[in-house]
Amino acid sequence: MTTGTREAVSDADRELLRRSVRDLLTLRWPADRAVEQAGSADAIAAVWRDMARQGLAALGSDQAQVGIRETILVFEELGRAACPAPLLGAVAANIALAGQQSNTARALLEDLHVGQARIALALGGFDGDAAAGRAELHGDALSGKVAFVEGAQSATHYLIFTETGAAVVAADAPGSTAQPTPGLAVPPFCELTFDGTPATRFEVPPSTLKDVALIARLACAGRALGAAQRAFDMAVEHAKVRKQFGQLIGQFQAVQHKLANCLINLDGARLTIETAAEARDAANPDWKTFAASALAFASPALREASIQTHRALGAIGYAEEHEAPRHFRRVHADLARFGGVTRARAELADYLLGPA
Amino acid sequence: MTKLPAHDMGTTVNAFRKDVRDWLARNWTPDKQAAHLKKPFNERGHDREFSKLMGRDGWIGVGWPKKFGGQGRSPTEQIAFITEFANSGAPNHAHTTSESIVAQALFLHGTKEQQDEWLPFIKRGECLFALGYSEPEAGSDLAALRTRAVRDGDHWVVNGQKLWSTGADKSDFMWLAVRTDPDAKKHAGISVLMVDLHSPGVTIRPSMALYSKTFSTHFYDDVRVPAKNLVGGVNNGWKVITDALAAERVMIGGGRIAGLERAFDRLTEYLKTAVVGGKALRSDPVIRDRIGAIAADLEVARQFQIRNSRLVEQGKVPIHEAALGKVFASELQERIGQAALDILGTGGLLSEDAASAPLGEMEQLLRHSIMGMIGGGTSEIQRNVIAQRGLDLPR
Repeated sequence: MTTGTREAVSDADRELLRRSVRDLLTLRWPADRAVEQAGSADAIAAVWRDMARQGLAALGSDQAQVGIRETILVFEELGRAACPAPLLGAVAANIALAGQQSNTARALLEDLHVGQARIALALGGFDGDAAAGRAELHGDALSGKVAFVEGAQSATHYLIFTETGAAVVAADAPGSTAQPTPGLAVPPFCELTFDGTPATRFEVPPSTLKDVALIARLACAGRALGAAQRAFDMAVEHAKVRKQFGQLIGQFQAVQHKLANCLINLDGARLTIETAAEARDAANPDWKTFAASALAFASPALREASIQTHRALGAIGYAEEHEAPRHFRRVHADLARFGGVTRARAELADYLLGPA
Repeated sequence: MTKLPAHDMGTTVNAFRKDVRDWLARNWTPDKQAAHLKKPFNERGHDREFSKLMGRDGWIGVGWPKKFGGQGRSPTEQIAFITEFANSGAPNHAHTTSESIVAQALFLHGTKEQQDEWLPFIKRGECLFALGYSEPEAGSDLAALRTRAVRDGDHWVVNGQKLWSTGADKSDFMWLAVRTDPDAKKHAGISVLMVDLHSPGVTIRPSMALYSKTFSTHFYDDVRVPAKNLVGGVNNGWKVITDALAAERVMIGGGRIAGLERAFDRLTEYLKTAVVGGKALRSDPVIRDRIGAIAADLEVARQFQIRNSRLVEQGKVPIHEAALGKVFASELQERIGQAALDILGTGGLLSEDAASAPLGEMEQLLRHSIMGMIGGGTSEIQRNVIAQRGLDLPR
């Protein structure tokens, strides 16, 4: 876990961070090339090096000087730009391997921070999706199958959570295969199979693994928020210029109320996600409950906002050359992960009613 | 009791919250609570004597500026105050319109004489106002109001009809929106009068509303109102009304959310131990899913409320943010009421007066939600505000 010793980050600092990430991505991951670049491992490697130069590959570590709230802000920007940079694996590695003294761990984190290493994360038994699979170490050999792994095709390493810790596997290690599983996620998730694959074992307490898993869920919700907000902003602008029946469609109350509902959903998701992240940064033990609230609300709310955004955009918005379809995919892919809304609601019920 | 975790509002707010709790522990005793619950539902929440007690000890005008005799508490502290009172169930409704809306307008638009005369009166908990806004032809389109006031010497003479006024039958004064210039454009010819409801020519007809409280139709037949009781200048009433409501929508929302939290706490407390037909309700996965969904929504409602109070603290007036909080909280009340019926089954239909009711006040919460989505500006009007003021969509 990151410590609570860093200086408080101001709203102005956060705005600067947002601006710098947005500027970088506008330059390196422009909207008109985002989808094409998402299919290129070289392009992903290049943008990751650029992000590392800005210190973003250290997010999650003490070195980053910022907390989870700011980390999630960067995920939002990635969602907005539809950029599949491997930040999830980086944050997970920075937190999970923070206390490791071995040279292997240090070397990996150094490579990560300069943008040379790209880590794909598999949470195994901590995933929350019953079909996510698991892999276990026998000595230094990893065996098993994990599914729904993002960024595996462009990764240099896999970080796999096991029952008792974490295993790091080189992506080109013998006995490992990565099978893309296409779907709403772009680039596609992969299914990773390990058969006695050489791996480096790290002892990590389960509490840390759980902590990382929850941060991963919040991060993906943040990324979905960025995507949903971007598509929504485009729909609002569209409603101000598109005319039908001789008037701007934004004058129709049916459209106004649709977009008002989207804003309620987006603002509610943003406020609860920020509150949860801030509570984590303040070492507030209730942060898990705040996170469950954020996920339980944001998951259906952002998906609904995404759908309604499309309805405001009309047929213009479902052309693949429009930005909206990529955001639709991102919102749904991120929010259905890790047990989705059902799990988050169950966690809140556990908190309020006790275990079933 | 397991509630959603409280937000840490900082040490000042937490200390203030403790003061409020201590006062409530001394003054809202179990004896008083039991006596209060014996009253008919319509009379609960409204208690002149309790308002005077609060006034005596300085708990009216907590958020007023100090120069007007208030405690000058921040919006966040005021939210904490409102929440503590709502959680306690203490009857503090009688003076809230006077304290929150009338006083707010007097700060901004009252003359020195009006402030000196009315604010201490309100602060003592002795001056109970109701709002006289809506008319048969002027609901959402409030500026279409037609109740006439004509100047006659040192008085205004009022004629017209108002309706849907909560608490009018229990109040002493009416904060009355009237038309003083019938030839001006509709927003431009309105003024606000403070009318003594004991004046000759005033008729108040209470009706029972769906939510078991009265609201009233009131008639004015040549009612003479002293000219000094006109607030904010002749034909300036629209500004008086909208200014007073803008900041106060935030405070009113605070009470609503605290009430919802209290109702939800009661529901979850009940579910923890309830066994129906040999099955523990808390083990039902459908119930658990529903409870989880509502808990998340409640957290969102709280977040909207906190955002609004922070905006006020920064000297901003939340407009679309306040509308957004109001839509969300009032519609959440409806969802909680519906969920309670689904979870409690037929027993959820029973009022708390029914001996075998598993949990009272739930069907009442649902009935009351209808008013919440309409009173103070309908959900539809709020969505217009969000779209036009928040998103800058064209009119």
